[in-house]
Amino acid sequence: MVDWQMSMYLKCLTCEVLARPVYLCAAYSPNIVDVELYPRGLHNDPSDLCTRLQEQIDNTEGYEAVVLAYGLCGQGTAGLMARNIPLVIPRAHDCITLFLGSRQRYLDQFTNHPGTYWYTQDYVERDDGSGGVLSVGSGSDLEVQTVYNDYVLKYGKDNADYLMEVMGAWQSHYRRAVFIDMGIGEGKLAESEAQAKATRRGWTLERMVGDRNLIRRLVDGDWENDFLVVQPGQQVKMTYDDEIIA
Amino acid sequence: MHPTINEIYEGIINGQNAFVQQKVKDALAAGLPPADILNQGMIAAMAEVGKRFEEGEYYVPEMLIAARAMQGGMALLKPHLKQGEIKSPGKVAIGTVKGDLHDIGKNLVAMMLEGAGFEIMDLGTDVTPQKFVEAVRAGVNIIAMSALLTTTMTNMKVTVTALEEAGLRGQVKIMIGGAPVTEAYAKQIGADGYGVDASRAVGVAKALVTA
Repeated sequence: MVDWQMSMYLKCLTCEVLARPVYLCAAYSPNIVDVELYPRGLHNDPSDLCTRLQEQIDNTEGYEAVVLAYGLCGQGTAGLMARNIPLVIPRAHDCITLFLGSRQRYLDQFTNHPGTYWYTQDYVERDDGSGGVLSVGSGSDLEVQTVYNDYVLKYGKDNADYLMEVMGAWQSHYRRAVFIDMGIGEGKLAESEAQAKATRRGWTLERMVGDRNLIRRLVDGDWENDFLVVQPGQQVKMTYDDEIIA
Repeated sequence: MHPTINEIYEGIINGQNAFVQQKVKDALAAGLPPADILNQGMIAAMAEVGKRFEEGEYYVPEMLIAARAMQGGMALLKPHLKQGEIKSPGKVAIGTVKGDLHDIGKNLVAMMLEGAGFEIMDLGTDVTPQKFVEAVRAGVNIIAMSALLTTTMTNMKVTVTALEEAGLRGQVKIMIGGAPVTEAYAKQIGADGYGVDASRAVGVAKALVTA
């Protein structure tokens, strides 16, 4: 006999790049989890991300906690305040930790391979070209062409060529791409898309198996150590150490 | 302002690289003082570009092409500038911190500082604290550090500590910037200045050298 009183009613706000793993973990969770997705393009404007999330947090009623499938995300979640119910957020710089399943694994990867561009199924599927002006070249060939044509019209061909070179130069600073297989759904199409992008930029593509344990723990209510539980009236802030947030 | 210098000024603001280079040649051929070309034509133009960026009229692409036009003209002008004519406010070593490979912002700051007359030592990306220490030993007035990621910005504090341990902290001013960086963080790590964007970084640098 299930004791429904043990289940929590949770509101989960998640970036759309975590959609499939979050939906899966929410479906298996002993808690009742309502999921809301946010556009991935919000990571280009962290203060906008903060405003949008805070708005939803402020308007959340009838739940026992708001859980965020986000990391610090460029300080986008720094400053978020818990209102009447606790706010729970993983101790992570960004979503890559949530895909990899641990802070340490992310740190190892980041320290040893800083020039890595990460791909996952949702990230590829939901690419709407909103990479932002500083990641020209991160989208499809069509998107790159559109940007170039726009620059030619505005600034002339000579300047357009220069801009594409300068603003696409970040690609030469990266050396590898990694596709993280989260073990959900049919990911082959997304993986081959990631391979095509990597090849175009001269990166090697590696494959890693992801780990949903942080996402699972987020929606299951297992919040010891690797999560920050923000009590009503408190705010998230960056700590600039291994705890990441407090 | 001489009409040709005015053309250089307008050309830089509009990002017209080839036009600016031609007009600099014309100005030199007409015997116009190189210092005037520099101050009235170039430095003033970049100050105006910075102003338009701060006012939301210009964005990163407009800044980049203006800076490019300025650099194109500057390359032709430099050999004609006498030693005493270049009143450089100071020398800046700039780079993105260890682990960070994103340099568009850093490059833009370097260009804007150059447009304001600063001498630039560009250390590139993924710069270790030790490299910043060596730059100070080589005699720069300002260390400018940038980071795009929350994962790497902690290396700014590591660099400040490295300078303290080398006994060099008092010899240099430190300014920081980058998307996740804040004024509060700058204060926390004991930096001397924080630049909100590439244009305002110029004002910060100028204040640091006159302090």
